[in-house]
Amino acid sequence: MAKEMLLPKDPRYLKYPLEAPFDQEKARWIAFNCSRCSVCKWVNSWQVKSAKYARICPQHTKYLYDSYSGQGKCDLALSIIDGKMKWGDDPEIKDILFKCTMCGGCDAMDKNIRDAELVKLFRWMRAEYIKDQGLLPEHKALADSLKQYDNVWVQPRSKRNAWAKELKELGIKDLNKEKAEVLLFVGCTYGLSQELKGTILNIAKILKANKIDFGILGESEMCCGSPPDKLGLTDEFERLATANVKKFNELGIKTLITPCAGCYGTIRVEYDGLPVKKNFEVLHVAEYLEKLVKAKKIKFRKELPVTVTWHDPCHMGRMGRPYVPGKDLEGVYDEPRTLLKAIPGVELVEMERIREYAWCCGGGGGAFTAFKDFAQWTARERIEEAKDTGASMIVTACPWCESNLRAGGIGMEEKMEIKNLFDLMTEAL
Amino acid sequence: MTAITKQHELHEQILKSFQAAIGDENVKDNSATINAYYGDWLPPKVLGMSMPPEFVVLPNGTMEVQAVIRICNRYKIPFIPVGSNQWSLTGSPNRPHTVLIDCKRMGKIHEIDDKNMYAVIEPLCTLAQIQAEAYKLGLYIGSPEASATASAIGGHVFQGMWGVGYRLGVAYRNILGIEWVLPSGEILRTGSFSQDATDGFWGEGPGPDLRGMLRGYAGAMGGVGMVTKMAVKLHPYPGPKVWPVEGTIPNQTSTLPEDRFKWYMVKYESLEDAIKFMYEVGRAEIAGVVQKWPTVYYIWWWANSCEQYWTEWKKRTFQDNVKNAVGVCLWGFTSGKQLEYEKRVLEDIIEETGGKPVKQEVQDMWVARTANNWIRDTHGSRMMRPSGTFLALRLNTDTLQYSIDHVKQGYEWVNKFSPPILDSDGPDWIGGYDFGHFGFGETDFPVEKDPAVLGDLLGKLLEMTKQDVQNGLENGVGPFLGGVYHAMAAPVFGYDRLLRGIKKAIDPNLVSNPPHNIPIEG
Repeated sequence: MAKEMLLPKDPRYLKYPLEAPFDQEKARWIAFNCSRCSVCKWVNSWQVKSAKYARICPQHTKYLYDSYSGQGKCDLALSIIDGKMKWGDDPEIKDILFKCTMCGGCDAMDKNIRDAELVKLFRWMRAEYIKDQGLLPEHKALADSLKQYDNVWVQPRSKRNAWAKELKELGIKDLNKEKAEVLLFVGCTYGLSQELKGTILNIAKILKANKIDFGILGESEMCCGSPPDKLGLTDEFERLATANVKKFNELGIKTLITPCAGCYGTIRVEYDGLPVKKNFEVLHVAEYLEKLVKAKKIKFRKELPVTVTWHDPCHMGRMGRPYVPGKDLEGVYDEPRTLLKAIPGVELVEMERIREYAWCCGGGGGAFTAFKDFAQWTARERIEEAKDTGASMIVTACPWCESNLRAGGIGMEEKMEIKNLFDLMTEAL
Repeated sequence: MTAITKQHELHEQILKSFQAAIGDENVKDNSATINAYYGDWLPPKVLGMSMPPEFVVLPNGTMEVQAVIRICNRYKIPFIPVGSNQWSLTGSPNRPHTVLIDCKRMGKIHEIDDKNMYAVIEPLCTLAQIQAEAYKLGLYIGSPEASATASAIGGHVFQGMWGVGYRLGVAYRNILGIEWVLPSGEILRTGSFSQDATDGFWGEGPGPDLRGMLRGYAGAMGGVGMVTKMAVKLHPYPGPKVWPVEGTIPNQTSTLPEDRFKWYMVKYESLEDAIKFMYEVGRAEIAGVVQKWPTVYYIWWWANSCEQYWTEWKKRTFQDNVKNAVGVCLWGFTSGKQLEYEKRVLEDIIEETGGKPVKQEVQDMWVARTANNWIRDTHGSRMMRPSGTFLALRLNTDTLQYSIDHVKQGYEWVNKFSPPILDSDGPDWIGGYDFGHFGFGETDFPVEKDPAVLGDLLGKLLEMTKQDVQNGLENGVGPFLGGVYHAMAAPVFGYDRLLRGIKKAIDPNLVSNPPHNIPIEG
């Protein structure tokens, strides 16, 4: 008779408790099982293409000490949970937790060797820190703005999506009043930034030109909840996200499309954790337009002789799909590349760290707001990497990446143009 | 003045000394920092056997390392040098007031000399980084079973049982020039570096070869100072300039060019037959990697999740197909013709030794997803996935033949203590090195990461090791733990006086990661 197999007693080793709520017990499980293998600090070894670009974690690369890494944060979480330390014991805990772009680089590398969710652990840690020590002063304006205006940019609701009023002749539907198949969820940054509004205008024009039945929510659009989610403002995230899902469901849309990587990752992935479920598909505008290009509905007429490199926004890529242990860490990687390659004259050259191994732009996780030096240092590292490809332009499709890469490039000797994918596409139409 | 006040004053004094030597920002003593420097996958932290360091310092370059070590000597406080900090079993402080020397500012590849085939590196450089640069020049450096995220210097001074050690020699035999700050703070340069040479191709002397002092049998574990620069051998590489990878984490695959690389998985009726085959392959002086992996290695490295691990294990996919199988990777180092020649030789050996190919579907499962780990990276931390940790029983570095008894006794022990040891199908890893002149045996098995279970098993491991010592270490000795190992093994072989003499001479204040490389206090 065959001997009975000796399996672990703890069922969490037999199957990762993916569905379990992310509470202290789950946080401890992830932290306790960190083996200090340090894969969270480096690009997966099979993918290292040079000594120069072998690092994955901006925070650890900049601040050097292991406390500023996925491993260090596991050690910190374990010490706190086990009562060996308190959140207020050391002022540097604030930096360790918040000088992090929440880019998920460590998380993705970690998932190659174990079942875990590091970014969720960091979010839990931030939330616990805030409960104990309060919000960072640097994030207060953002948090207040969310409460008061439902956006992160301290702008009145009336200014949101003002661009649509300027383009009345396009006849963009207001989904508060009319029905449409597609909701263009603009997001706080495209919806309020003067610098970036050209991009959303271009997207709207492309959609209109292709007779897409779409509309927007105008002034009533609220923040997707990404910034409070990343900062650990759990209640605020749940308020916004729940209200959004309910509203989107009521609209009767088939598809929600968004040009913002942060909104995309949040609505597509993080909303899955809410009690109320989505009844619509979520796509990044790049995914949506790629289908039109492939169907030959969008045709590029002008040649743009330019060598570009594509920067993968973290929340479109490795953070853009729900985690299932053992399944590929997919993301929106191929679609923007297909779009770029479809533009006549455009030559796409790749950086060393791409797709799930991409180096973050530095703009996420609240770093852009609170720790500009760090955010811009991270951006400069990315620009250097882009320069090494021989490209003269970084193309991306995330307002945070775009803004932070531009800010990081200020003062650099050799200039690198930062361009939004949809602006480049528009130039070629 | 109370003892606490005195201790505080002393702490402040030491802090200021470090700050003056290497800059304020490169020294930390706060709880959030030191707390990140004593964890590991194995028991020290889990069982409360390690403690945070008092200081973490980040020197940059040999002179700053020297300054740090001199301060440690002045105050007689222990220091531990760590490389890329991938695992830190013996890099976890085990006594108060320890200074952790983290080399995060020492990650330069100074030079890769493609004509003379060596690289000059600093301690943070990982094998993956050097591999990437070497490939571009048609050169190669190996990867240990742990992972290519390991520090190359750390791996070379420890042991370096990498898969390609079969062909290229284990890593410690690939050390050339060394720049080394002794525990006393003196700088020692060996090989070419000792002659003010700007290159690093020469590893010998002058005088007696001191590399053995650095490594010993089982690594010095930071017990003899800190290497700040090293020249390491590189080897010809017939592979592509960029490592080929397909797919996405955690399901990547890698296929090397068929005209230069070919994996064979050959199965035998018994372990003895498998080892005989390994000898014959070595005798023919063919192949780049020859390994007899235990069944549990296949599933450890292959599974992409806990669930897949245990599901596949219950199906017995690997247990029924790879028991007593040997993995051989042929390399056409010089040409495709060499590979063709080696294929013919190997196929003759397989026939002569009665080997049978592992079922194709199982070979396909293993090769693309994991086999090339023994060339580029082993993703070693996958060993912790299904149970949180693993333990290693005795290790031997002797002959292939000797390894047979060694591992068989190993899994007798494993069976005796299963449970709590989890299912492992007789873990019998036997690696062939130096064309089979040298065999390495190790017994690794999965255990649940439960402090009570681990504490109990460690006690039993220690008992077994004491018994081994009484038996004259006929069967190898417990895991390589530097000083712990040497304390037990050295008297058996009579080299304890030599080792203690070295330690006393170069580490008069016993500051270099005591009790490594051999305890001499009390």
